Amino acid sequence: MKRILIGSILPALFIASWEISSRTGLLTLESLSRPSDILRAGIAGLADGSILVATGQTFETALFGLAVAAVAGIIAGAVLGLSPVLERVVDPTIEALRPIPAVAFIPLALMMFGFGISMEATIVAYACVWPILIVTISAVKAIEPRLLEVADTLEMNFVERLRKIILPAAFVRINVGLRVATGIALVVAVTVEIVLNPRGLGYSLMLAQQSLRVDIMYAQLLWLCVIGYVLNALLRNIGPASIVLSRAGR
Amino acid sequence: MQVKAKQTVGGGKAAATTPGMSMYQVSLSYGASSPERRLILENITLDVREGEFLCIVGPSGSGKTTLLRMLSGLVKPTTGEVRFRGQVVSGPSRERAIIFQDYSKALLPWRTVAGNIALSLEAEGMRPADQQPIVAALLSKMGIVRAANQFPGQLSGGMQQRVQIARCLAQRPKILLMDEPFGALDAMTRQALQDEILILSGEQRMTVVFITHDLEEAIYLGDRVVVLGDTPARIIETIDVDLPRPRDQLTTREDPRFLAHRHRLFGLLRRH
Amino acid sequence: MRKIDPLTIAAFGFALALILAWQLLAELNFISPIFFPSPSRALSVLAARVLDGSIWTPFFATALRMLFGWALASLAGIAIGAAIGSSRLARDLLEPTLDFIRPLPASAMIPIAVLFLGLSNAMSLSVIAFGAIWPVLLATVHGFSSVQPELRQVSDVLGFSRFEFLKKIALPSAFPDIIAGLRVSLAISLILAVVTEMQASLPGLGWDIFFAQRMYRSADLYAGLVLLGVMGLTANHALMLFERRVLRWRNLHA
Repeated sequence: MKRILIGSILPALFIASWEISSRTGLLTLESLSRPSDILRAGIAGLADGSILVATGQTFETALFGLAVAAVAGIIAGAVLGLSPVLERVVDPTIEALRPIPAVAFIPLALMMFGFGISMEATIVAYACVWPILIVTISAVKAIEPRLLEVADTLEMNFVERLRKIILPAAFVRINVGLRVATGIALVVAVTVEIVLNPRGLGYSLMLAQQSLRVDIMYAQLLWLCVIGYVLNALLRNIGPASIVLSRAGR
Repeated sequence: MQVKAKQTVGGGKAAATTPGMSMYQVSLSYGASSPERRLILENITLDVREGEFLCIVGPSGSGKTTLLRMLSGLVKPTTGEVRFRGQVVSGPSRERAIIFQDYSKALLPWRTVAGNIALSLEAEGMRPADQQPIVAALLSKMGIVRAANQFPGQLSGGMQQRVQIARCLAQRPKILLMDEPFGALDAMTRQALQDEILILSGEQRMTVVFITHDLEEAIYLGDRVVVLGDTPARIIETIDVDLPRPRDQLTTREDPRFLAHRHRLFGLLRRH
Repeated sequence: MRKIDPLTIAAFGFALALILAWQLLAELNFISPIFFPSPSRALSVLAARVLDGSIWTPFFATALRMLFGWALASLAGIAIGAAIGSSRLARDLLEPTLDFIRPLPASAMIPIAVLFLGLSNAMSLSVIAFGAIWPVLLATVHGFSSVQPELRQVSDVLGFSRFEFLKKIALPSAFPDIIAGLRVSLAISLILAVVTEMQASLPGLGWDIFFAQRMYRSADLYAGLVLLGVMGLTANHALMLFERRVLRWRNLHA
């Protein structure tokens, strides 16, 4: 409690001086608006549903891309983690593709899919697949070999093996990769929207700036902070993998 | 049983009348309010004589380490006072070097052996040029000349502990506070370092307070052994070790008086 | 003669096979040359632009943008991180606010930065610095707050001042963490350099590939992608080499 109090000193001072200086005319910069106006714009945006619609669009795309990345990354990671030979063969290709910034694929994705959810989700998937893939490979490599021998003696096929042995055994570590990827998914989705895709929170942020509705712009920025913060807190406590994968373990 | 020491090599026998260090009715407790208040040390009064080798033994977790930290000034007593040469101790000082048990955590892993020793000299603001001969002398005194440019991570435990001792000696301390310094070492290395520290403290007539849970080590090294009882720690007994110096790993340990002391200490600790 | 591992050959064979398959598909017109020009065309465009030198201006523009933004983020991140990691008061004052704004996508700062700084290099650098500061900052906080208690006590006994403690003990002890953070920050810097170039039409490879797409010059687009990959790889490896040199003491064993 005391820590929250101390922690709110600086933001409170900042906001108060911002409000006061803009009210007294000390600060007349158009790009600044006022805290009270920003709050009002935020409440209006939430009330008429415009912020929530945009949030829904962004989340939809982020989750879509994340799901594609998770499926692809976990399956490919399991295969490569089980076969050291294959991993060595594919590794240089992975290492060559990985450092290309995902956003650099925006023009290519635009050319292929046009504006809309597909191009955005493709970029999100490209950005998210690497942490999932890398973590899965190392997690599968770390599985106790005895467990895989059990699968051998039970003559399990690959899907059974993946469901009953590999995923549960590597679950904790894959979970870490998925958490990282979830954070990345939201950031990349917003980024693609800001750069050019006309949908979601990123776009409405750009729109607000371009139409000089500075109060709306700041309100949306604040909203992004809030959902980012809540998402982080959720991920720390549950992690998406426990929802997606807890059934696979049975 | 009283046998007078004939030699003073290896651990000063000539105890001065003014104490080198003293604790007077020192207690320490954590936690402010009464329910969770925990008493760690209770009413400890202790004199460390100038030039003596004082060993403190006690069961693990008995607060030995805390007591040593108090002597160094790193921990302040809740009540009572700690004095060094008559002055009340208010904080740590270069005059009281402390040697930690876990040498791997107490050395700077990013500095070479020579760099670790030089740290103490930098602390007094010495110019690098002046540091060099002192570092070289300490390296050869501790037998680690060949390791001078190696990093601590490359050395064995015994070597690392030698580095830590060298760094403490570079402080030119008036008193050496050692916290189970050889506890983590193998038996051979431990014995070698025991003898080295005896020679060092004898040569320089250094006051040493040495904490250990190894009763034999305490008898072998000490002029006196203080026995602590646990929770809260308090002094049960202080015994004078009337074994001749220089001591020898074989003959000293076979001396009937050594065995008698061991017997007595063992009984004291078992009872508590 | 050194024997070459057959797996290494296989690895390069695999990458080559992918490229050849793509070439084949393009030659047979299975895939649209507008979206997927054959690799040979993309490479010849790249080679031509390397040879006539026209690629270096945007290449270095992006590289400099990345490095400057990264340097800003690193300096600020280490300074703030050191303060938070070594002072209880600074931590209590700053941490909740930083925790709140940290999840904000750096690209969301672009509209604000544009309002204040226009479509300028300063805008780009400030956005890069905002996004790339977090890994260094968090790593520095962690490094400074996990200094071995024994080392703290050594510093107390030797009578080091607070500044000496930070310089001689806390900073070197936090260095492995800081370098790990610096590497992540560098990758983020490149991403944001590309994003801001696209968004604000600033010169560089990011703008180049954006423009190539508008002109439907997809071979140029691929050439740009390859170069961005090379830049990311080079930057990361350079830092890794630096890390191995500076942290030599960590990899040595008895």
